[in-house]
Amino acid sequence: MRQYVRFKGSRNGLQLVLDDSVDFTVILENLKTKLESAVVFFTEGTIVEVPAKARVLTTEQQEDLTKLLAVYGLIFCEAVEEQQVIEENKAETEELQPLFVAKTLRSGQEVVYIGSVVIDGDVNPGAEVIAGGDIIIRGTCRGVVHAGAYGNMEATITANRLLASQIRIANLIARAPDNLDQPEYPEIARIQDGNVIIQTVEI
Amino acid sequence: MGDVIVITSGKGGVGKTTTTANIGTGFALMGKKVVLIDADIGLRNLDVVMGLENRIVYDLVDVVEGNCRLKQALIRDKRYDSLYLLPAAQTRDKNAVNPEQMKQLCTELAQDFDIVIIDCPAGIEQGFKNAISGASQAIIVTTPEVSAVRDADRIIGLLESEGKHNPKLIINRIRPNMVKKGDMMDIDDIIEILAIDLLGIIPDDDYIIISTNRGEPAVANPVSAASTAYKNIVRRLTGENVPLMKIEANDGFFSRLKKVFNF
Repeated sequence: MRQYVRFKGSRNGLQLVLDDSVDFTVILENLKTKLESAVVFFTEGTIVEVPAKARVLTTEQQEDLTKLLAVYGLIFCEAVEEQQVIEENKAETEELQPLFVAKTLRSGQEVVYIGSVVIDGDVNPGAEVIAGGDIIIRGTCRGVVHAGAYGNMEATITANRLLASQIRIANLIARAPDNLDQPEYPEIARIQDGNVIIQTVEI
Repeated sequence: MGDVIVITSGKGGVGKTTTTANIGTGFALMGKKVVLIDADIGLRNLDVVMGLENRIVYDLVDVVEGNCRLKQALIRDKRYDSLYLLPAAQTRDKNAVNPEQMKQLCTELAQDFDIVIIDCPAGIEQGFKNAISGASQAIIVTTPEVSAVRDADRIIGLLESEGKHNPKLIINRIRPNMVKKGDMMDIDDIIEILAIDLLGIIPDDDYIIISTNRGEPAVANPVSAASTAYKNIVRRLTGENVPLMKIEANDGFFSRLKKVFNF
């Protein structure tokens, strides 16, 4: 039988990867057999996440999953997009779609992604964005941002209001001056002659 | 089914317990049937603020562990007949209860009461997780300090990831004189960062300290500024549209004199 369901280790517990090419009932059947065959392996209370990228589930489907997992003592939880597992394969950077995050990142939340990241919201103090490519923030940036995290010196950081406490590009770190005047226009940070510079964005 | 509201903040000492006591008493003044749950196991305070410490026989942990019935642990307030308290245990810690049990407890209480208010402990660990698990609404208390606002932001993020959206904000302990001089974070600055609905602002008021020490929630006092602010918050929670209180600096004698003579 083909495996439509795979378990992967994740930071919070387990990650459930569901094939999106087959019907949901097949998935459920498949999952049940899998759980049945390895009851001992799944410790009670383990959190199981389903990354939104792999398969979008309806509310009923989520309930079905929750119920099925609960039988084996597992807790279902929808994976938050900010905890994207970094893919090992760096060669794919070029063709990667940017990650779009449509919410404000609050203190303690982080987005880690191998490609570029677009944030439609603010990045509050205490939040972090780490991207292999560029970072574009369509709000106010007050947190820590790291573009080109895997060595891309060409990476840039753009924000509607760039008030970041720290800007990192590739292996360079720039700290905000202690008495920062607050810009009211979009700015972009990039590396020039080995320094991080910030320029006004011309619209 | 009644509403289950959790009052939380992340940072300690911003006024969660005082807010719980006052909002609860405010609802009771309106004739609603209210129960306050102290979720701060091991560091209980709500009973002291309510002046009910010497009436505790059973507590939340006893209920959860089945040592007593829920009704036995509920303490009726000495002033308002429709107000009850479920106290926390003092000799145990936060791990004595789990979120599932709290959820069940809240559901049970919501059947008998119009409003269930949970006083959340400071921090983001087990105690916080327990306190928010049964709640359908959250109120975040903060003060106009950078650290308190930062923690409030973290809490909003954690609530979101638990599926609890649209929390409401109370800004506590505003000092009108300092705001006027520009020495204190202004309400707009806080709202800009947190970006959630403002439920109310509470001026810094010496009477809160007096009333807390006496074990009588301030909201019952008709003249204190903080009590008016709490009453407004309760009215807003019931759906009434009450304008925000004007934060006016306490004028000195001469400026009042000027006003009288219309300078």
